[in-house]
Amino acid sequence: MSNGINRRRFISDTMLSAAGILAAGSQAGCSSGQVAGPPAYSLMGEVKKYRKMDAHAHVDFDPGDIEKQIDFADRLGIDKLCVSRPITNFSGNEPEDQEEVIRSNNLVLKAMKQFPNRVIGFLTLNPIYRKESLEEIDRCVEMGMAGYKGYTQVKINDPLYYPIIEKFIDLKMIMLMHGFCQLGVGGYRMKYDAGMAPNTSIPEDFVDAAKRYPEGMFQFAHIGGGADWEYECKLFKDYPNIYVDTSGSNNEENMIDFAVRHLGEDRLFYGSDGSYYQGIGKILASDLTETQKKKIFFDNYNNILKKGGHHVT
Amino acid sequence: MLLDINSYVGHWPFKQLKYNTCASLVDRMDKYGVEISVVSNLNGIFYKNTQSANEELYQEIRSETRLSNRLIPFAIINPIYAGWQSDFEISIEKMGMKGIRLYPLYHDYELTDPSCIELVKMARDRKLPVALSLRIVDSRQRSWMDLEKEWALKEIIPIIREVPDARYCILNVANSTTLNEEETEILKNTDLLFDTSGRSMNELPELLRIYGENKFAFGTHSPILDYLTGLLRIEALREKEVDEESRELIRSGNAGRMLGI
Repeated sequence: MSNGINRRRFISDTMLSAAGILAAGSQAGCSSGQVAGPPAYSLMGEVKKYRKMDAHAHVDFDPGDIEKQIDFADRLGIDKLCVSRPITNFSGNEPEDQEEVIRSNNLVLKAMKQFPNRVIGFLTLNPIYRKESLEEIDRCVEMGMAGYKGYTQVKINDPLYYPIIEKFIDLKMIMLMHGFCQLGVGGYRMKYDAGMAPNTSIPEDFVDAAKRYPEGMFQFAHIGGGADWEYECKLFKDYPNIYVDTSGSNNEENMIDFAVRHLGEDRLFYGSDGSYYQGIGKILASDLTETQKKKIFFDNYNNILKKGGHHVT
Repeated sequence: MLLDINSYVGHWPFKQLKYNTCASLVDRMDKYGVEISVVSNLNGIFYKNTQSANEELYQEIRSETRLSNRLIPFAIINPIYAGWQSDFEISIEKMGMKGIRLYPLYHDYELTDPSCIELVKMARDRKLPVALSLRIVDSRQRSWMDLEKEWALKEIIPIIREVPDARYCILNVANSTTLNEEETEILKNTDLLFDTSGRSMNELPELLRIYGENKFAFGTHSPILDYLTGLLRIEALREKEVDEESRELIRSGNAGRMLGI
């Protein structure tokens, strides 16, 4: 410790203090002897132990944004970032046309070129533009992109998505799709207005798409994104072509263990969605075995990318 | 060494918790090298008479030496419920609690309620920390019976204005940390600690630059949040962002000073 207190002394003093106050007005009878502290735990050692592929990363148009993401990756030992730039339109007044789609995908292509050994590109679309979407898939795949990231323009089970899903089935690529499940956004008892876009995909929409296309690969975004992860995992249990990534700012205890218990150890992918500390902390704090953590941090997603020829060695 | 200033035992009515007993908390501490934890009983958020929760915690801690050696209890006091002054006195003097936690949103009062101000002044006079959690759970995935409201950092300023010389622990800083210059100065000039459990602490390097290393302390918000993310934010700091002495202050030194141990 700083301020001149050594570790052993601090432990002893703390126990004396804690035991003392507990015993002061009661018959607590706590001992106050010197007891060794717990063995040291090297958290950064654990962090570095696992190779990591972030299955849900983004880049934005802010100057220096991709450098910022790479810096987080360097800090936390993340080897590969699967990067996309979906059209989020949080304000409701932002462009969502094909021009914006191309602009977004070009940003990802730029990041791929800038950090070829770190960034794996995922393309985005607005499925309302059917013909242009199919052409954009060709363009982006030709340029080396490895998968898809969709947002809230169209629900995943909308017929507008059918030709797109079929195209990604042919390409053997996974479709990462924003999804949500909270009060006000489907899933259960809609009693509140959560302010979400009306075409936000809910877990039931994923199940619908997965049943229609059992050969498709659907990645439900961010079980830590603030939605009800217990609901999601229970609903997806019987649909082996629905995968989940663990990203999001919510890092509740038991999320990862619960997900593995319901989905198995092969259908979870480590992800951050910009919440880099939570993404790693919640997996390391889980009760999973080292082998299971290794699969979730890297191998599971790499195996998915391998189907389309975009895995890393 | 590690001193966690933000842990709980007890139940959350809307979701099963793991590691929510004193024994399982200490097991968790042993596994991850945490020597001391400040702990409160979640049940006190939901009991109308919070003192029952404090008594439960006291009984559980005193049941085993290995628990009483490692856990520092904070009492949950509801200053608008009958007998709260007595609850405070008994919790501190008889049960040896070392601080208090307040839950105005759940207990339905304002932070500037006269009774709350009186309680905070009582804690101040004993040099006891007053802990305020900006949220307990992520309200986006709450139960339909739970609260929608969460606090931003700005919303705890009024009680600090009322009792500026008290000691505060600001926990689970999960929302906006945006303050104007005057509010920032208030926090800088107050004896307070932010714990590292909340998602806004992802910007810890920048927050350290603003507030300095004496304002932060390791916290888990366990067992609601995972046990390691709050620690990861500290351990992943680079040497150019925090020297080893300052890192130790965040791991335990600042909390030890505030707790008087």
